[in-house]
Amino acid sequence: MKVTDSYAESGHEIQWKNLGSRKIKDKIAYGLSYVVLGIMVVILVSIFIYILDSGASHITLNMLITPGNTATGGVLNAIVGTWELVGMGLLFSLPPSILGALYVVNGRSNGTLSMAARLFTDVLTSVPSIVIGFFAFIVLVQRLNMGYSLIAGGIALSVMMLPYLMRIIEISFRNIPKEQIENAYALGADDIRVASRIYLPQAKVGMFSGILLAVSIAAGETAQLLYSAGWNNNYATGFLHSGVGYLTYVVWNGINYPTTYSHYLAYVSAMLLILSVTGLIALSKYIGRGK
Amino acid sequence: MKVTNKIFNFFTFLMAIVPAVALISIFAFVFQESLPLWKFSGFSFFTTYLWNPGFQYQPPHLVHGVLAPQGAQFGLDLFLLGTLSTSALAILIAFPISFLITLNVELYLPSKIKKIMVSMIELFAGIPSVVYGLWGIIVLEPILFRSVEPWMAQHLSFIPGFKGEIYSGAGLIASGIILSFMIIPIVTSVIVNSFDTVPKEVKEGLFSLGATKWEVGKYLTTRYSRASTVGGTLLGLGRALGETMAVLMVSGAIVNTLPTSFYSATNTMAAAITSLLDSALTDSTRMDLAALAALAIVLMVISLGVSIVGRKIAGRGALRGYESD
Repeated sequence: MKVTDSYAESGHEIQWKNLGSRKIKDKIAYGLSYVVLGIMVVILVSIFIYILDSGASHITLNMLITPGNTATGGVLNAIVGTWELVGMGLLFSLPPSILGALYVVNGRSNGTLSMAARLFTDVLTSVPSIVIGFFAFIVLVQRLNMGYSLIAGGIALSVMMLPYLMRIIEISFRNIPKEQIENAYALGADDIRVASRIYLPQAKVGMFSGILLAVSIAAGETAQLLYSAGWNNNYATGFLHSGVGYLTYVVWNGINYPTTYSHYLAYVSAMLLILSVTGLIALSKYIGRGK
Repeated sequence: MKVTNKIFNFFTFLMAIVPAVALISIFAFVFQESLPLWKFSGFSFFTTYLWNPGFQYQPPHLVHGVLAPQGAQFGLDLFLLGTLSTSALAILIAFPISFLITLNVELYLPSKIKKIMVSMIELFAGIPSVVYGLWGIIVLEPILFRSVEPWMAQHLSFIPGFKGEIYSGAGLIASGIILSFMIIPIVTSVIVNSFDTVPKEVKEGLFSLGATKWEVGKYLTTRYSRASTVGGTLLGLGRALGETMAVLMVSGAIVNTLPTSFYSATNTMAAAITSLLDSALTDSTRMDLAALAALAIVLMVISLGVSIVGRKIAGRGALRGYESD
């Protein structure tokens, strides 16, 4: 960003006449901005209250302790499946994120290559989720014959989580004082030692906060999973060839299914989703505060 | 350097290019899947809005050297129109709101409340897409259907497109509103971040020259940090173009019928891929699947293009990693 730009240089001159009308304009903007902010806050709060209220008023204990098919039974298979999928996604995305971030921040890496790696990481975050889902379907489910499964769903989620994690972990690596790293190298430490004794322990908090954030985003995803994890009316029986249930599917399918009970299941799932997602975001912000 | 260290460094390099490999293989495999469609439809894929999987119960026939069901015809115009119009509406709604919110939190609100407000607006991005869809179906659509759209049809019918029959709340307006909620946090957060990095001297200089807060805000967002404002808006647009579930739920997911007014049901490329993939699997020639792959390729090119340009304009680090796009 250029700092040289100044108000006068831009050719934008303040008209000293009409001070009154300028003040009125300011007052209008002032009022309007409060009105808009107020409306947005009211909408946000009303969405939360609506989802929480309609979930809480239809929840039964039975829903939480039995598996179901989005029309009857409960959502326990979906709750379990959501965390299995997110865990699987984390398993596939966390190791490459940490090691990839180490490469990007390592001063001895090839500059052009690490810049290219960062560029691709940024671009990958913008791939529409359904395109990832479509890719997972034609390649993992069909060609590699995984079937709708935990592995296919986990990989689909990890494609989305990977760039977030890599970027957040890179940022937390960069927050480490440079002198500390230089000192370690000066004392003769090699890259493995610097990574294990300085980067990882020092960036622990930032990394953990980033992981929680990535998990919260992954838990609310649907489009990648529809054709990779599929669905299961019961618990997944293995890593391959066995569909997995997840909460977002219950919301989507339940609300389109023409029975009252299926709508209740959708409300309850939406409530569970919004609680866990915002809970994770809040926790992540709390842990990463001041960073 | 020790050998283990070299191996370690090579391994970190391999991991650093995983995103690149993922991106390239997504593009390559989806493009490969779409190849039969380009042979079958050629350029007519871009010139028709009809989407017809053909007769599945009659023997497929050869067209331009590829097998396709009889009567099959694929065109993306309806979906492209839906994607562009819903995203455009979302930006039209989101930009002024984000602009005013930025002015408010930066210039008018006490700085203690500012943090809370920014976090609150960011929470909009945390709500899962299907939950927006659920809210859209249960709350927003009835309001649009019963009150807003009848009022618009009655009082604004002199504007082209505002006159027409109201079928249900689902369609362009509902999709645009929901999408705008999803991108307001992105746009706001980019503009607020750039506002925060403006040197104090610039702001103080402006005030000392006698500028009002509105003038300072307008100057800083539209001139001084114009790049972030434009880039942030493009990043929001990129997100809106690729958004799937919420739009699928509130767009009406229509096929083969062009919208006649703003109240008509619509469909987007992302939503169409999701909703048509199930039935595409019944096509033994895989032509239907190839057509959806072609749709995915076009969608990917458009949304990646917009996001890359946005990121380039706004500068790296415009997003702090939280606002998903």
